[in-house]
Amino acid sequence: MAADAPRSLLEHRLVIVTGKGGTGKTTVSATLALAASRAGLRVLVAEMGPDEQIPRLLDPRAPEVGYAGCAILPGLQAMRIDPFEALAEYLGLQLGVRAVVDAVVRNNAFRQLMTAAPGWRELITLGKIWHLAQLDSEDPPGRQFDLIVVDAPATGHGVAFLDVPRVVVSAVRAGPLHAHTERVERMLEDPDQTLVLPVALAEELPAREIAELTDRVRNEMGISIDRVIVNAVVGPPFPAAIPDLDAALARLDGDLPLGMLPSPRVLTRCARYLRSRHELNRRFAADIQHTTGLPIVELPRLPDGVESLEQISALAGALLADPVFLE
Amino acid sequence: MKPDARLDAMLADREVIVCVGCGGSGKTTVAAALALEAARRGRQALVLTIDPARRLADAMGVESLGNRPQTIPRATLDALGVTPSGSLSAMMLDMKRTFDDLVERFAESEEIRDRVLGNSIYQHVSNALAGSVEYSAMEKVFEMHESGAFDLIVVDTPPAQHALDFLEAPQRLLEFLDSRLVKMLIHPAFKAGRFGFRLFHRATQRVLQVLERITGIGFLEDLSEFLIAFDAMSVGFRDRALRVRSLLLGPRSTFVLVSGPGRISARNASDFLDRLETYGVSLAGVLVNRVRLWPSQGAPPADEPPRSVDLERLRDALRASEGADYPAELAADAAAKAATRYAGWVRADARSAQPLRERIEAQGRFWGCIPEFERDVHDLSGLGCVADRIAGRDEEP
Repeated sequence: MAADAPRSLLEHRLVIVTGKGGTGKTTVSATLALAASRAGLRVLVAEMGPDEQIPRLLDPRAPEVGYAGCAILPGLQAMRIDPFEALAEYLGLQLGVRAVVDAVVRNNAFRQLMTAAPGWRELITLGKIWHLAQLDSEDPPGRQFDLIVVDAPATGHGVAFLDVPRVVVSAVRAGPLHAHTERVERMLEDPDQTLVLPVALAEELPAREIAELTDRVRNEMGISIDRVIVNAVVGPPFPAAIPDLDAALARLDGDLPLGMLPSPRVLTRCARYLRSRHELNRRFAADIQHTTGLPIVELPRLPDGVESLEQISALAGALLADPVFLE
Repeated sequence: MKPDARLDAMLADREVIVCVGCGGSGKTTVAAALALEAARRGRQALVLTIDPARRLADAMGVESLGNRPQTIPRATLDALGVTPSGSLSAMMLDMKRTFDDLVERFAESEEIRDRVLGNSIYQHVSNALAGSVEYSAMEKVFEMHESGAFDLIVVDTPPAQHALDFLEAPQRLLEFLDSRLVKMLIHPAFKAGRFGFRLFHRATQRVLQVLERITGIGFLEDLSEFLIAFDAMSVGFRDRALRVRSLLLGPRSTFVLVSGPGRISARNASDFLDRLETYGVSLAGVLVNRVRLWPSQGAPPADEPPRSVDLERLRDALRASEGADYPAELAADAAAKAATRYAGWVRADARSAQPLRERIEAQGRFWGCIPEFERDVHDLSGLGCVADRIAGRDEEP
């Protein structure tokens, strides 16, 4: 591989999937995890939100996986990082004495303080991810996880949570917290290890936001970002021989009875909708490529939404077949 | 969507309408459309947005506002059907500025003000980290309401991970200031150099020791200084937070839940509803945004392959029409497929919203659908179309 070629998505240790609400970020996280596990990697997919969604997406009968995590499919583990549990684990590792940790974590005043205190949730979650990335496995030997996929929170803060370590390193000038946070920061800023994978829709507002996000991650945060997933792209609506089907339908008598078929007026509306969504998606997919200067990976909009393993498998197939995905 | 008396009453009577919902549901658009509709009905409406689409902001004249409301010009409003007695203003929240304004208002002296504004922890807290957006948004609503310049404020709430962060933010801040640990940190002994943890309750001692061990002493001192300065302003802050809360939860305010289409959005909306109910929030109704609707009366046809006799009829009509230079058979098939595809989306949207819809209707609240338009809504005339749909005008998609 040439020195300046981007690494394969699957060669990173940590892929942080980000995107605004409604872009299908969680679906993409599940899809990426599934695709990677099918490619033979040991994969962990971690959710940060208050609700678990990925296990149920991959298997409707999946149990709650919680903080302990659970294998959902061969080579694919899922977990949800709860900040209070991560904090208890961290304090346990630091202090060694479980009884002290329990007393502190259960202490009312401490919980009150932590409920109000900003930033630590993001920090401890990133710390936990760092820790997971260091875990070794004995059988087979090597890292316990080849790839950790993080479904980042869909907050208005965008990628601000990735900035928390930097803020903390500057606000806390010494001590173990400073040292540990620096390690997390180093992992995030190492392009061989960490990649931010933004998910966007090919529509006006998301296209604009993705350009801002890309800019910020690259220039202000110094975290690697090298491709964009454009999700739910509506494919060509009509056969190539009839690019103007909607216009042809519009020339018919709108009320002409067509038996069980909808009237030409309704057919025109349906055709026009498909065409306008397709054209809008095409325009803004090109726009995203242009404004971010990054290659894009397109995922198709599936007819019935994405709600089952079958559909995720179809998307994972599309991902694995995309040269930009693996390049 | 039919006109709904409950929605009409909300637009006529309430002083604050809070639009809540998950990110990506189109809250900003819906909030702006509700404000426009209220202005059409003669109210002095302000829409307060947190994170608007840039072009929507441009169209509404809120690009470079510096945290102050901007009135939409009269001529523009006339073109949108706003009655002469109504007005529409818009503003975009500048969070940092709002927070700084609060500090200025409540600091007892310039010295305290400068200490807070200059403290590195304050700068991080007010600038970047979770909770402060929500707090500032609610503070701004209160300030605008108090100003008396508007008789309706429609709020587009920040997209939050936890549904009601913005309602909880003032309370959290108060609990924080009241917590025993914070009281310890602002204890004079703490600032008196090497502080004796011995002064404190044993459990607190232990927590402070743990914190010190993890964070190092310098951080706790910064924190202490910040809290001491902050505490000096806390009476004003506290009073204010309580009044914000009582405005939002009182009879002058109501909430509208905005949801996107699709099962995941509906599930999130349903979780939201649970939280709203535990808060005792007055919910007026639900608006589902960007729903695919069937473009004629009634439901879409069943998902069956088209009959060949019907396809033939369509093919003949296409062949007979002007300028038909395409294979008519292929065209007829493609048209039927397009209808089937679209009908599938329409059915999926209706199906995924059904449980939420039943719940809302059983509670006697309004339920409205805004169709997905062929183009993105990014200007005032687009907002006008959304407002028409919300109000039950212009039935044809």
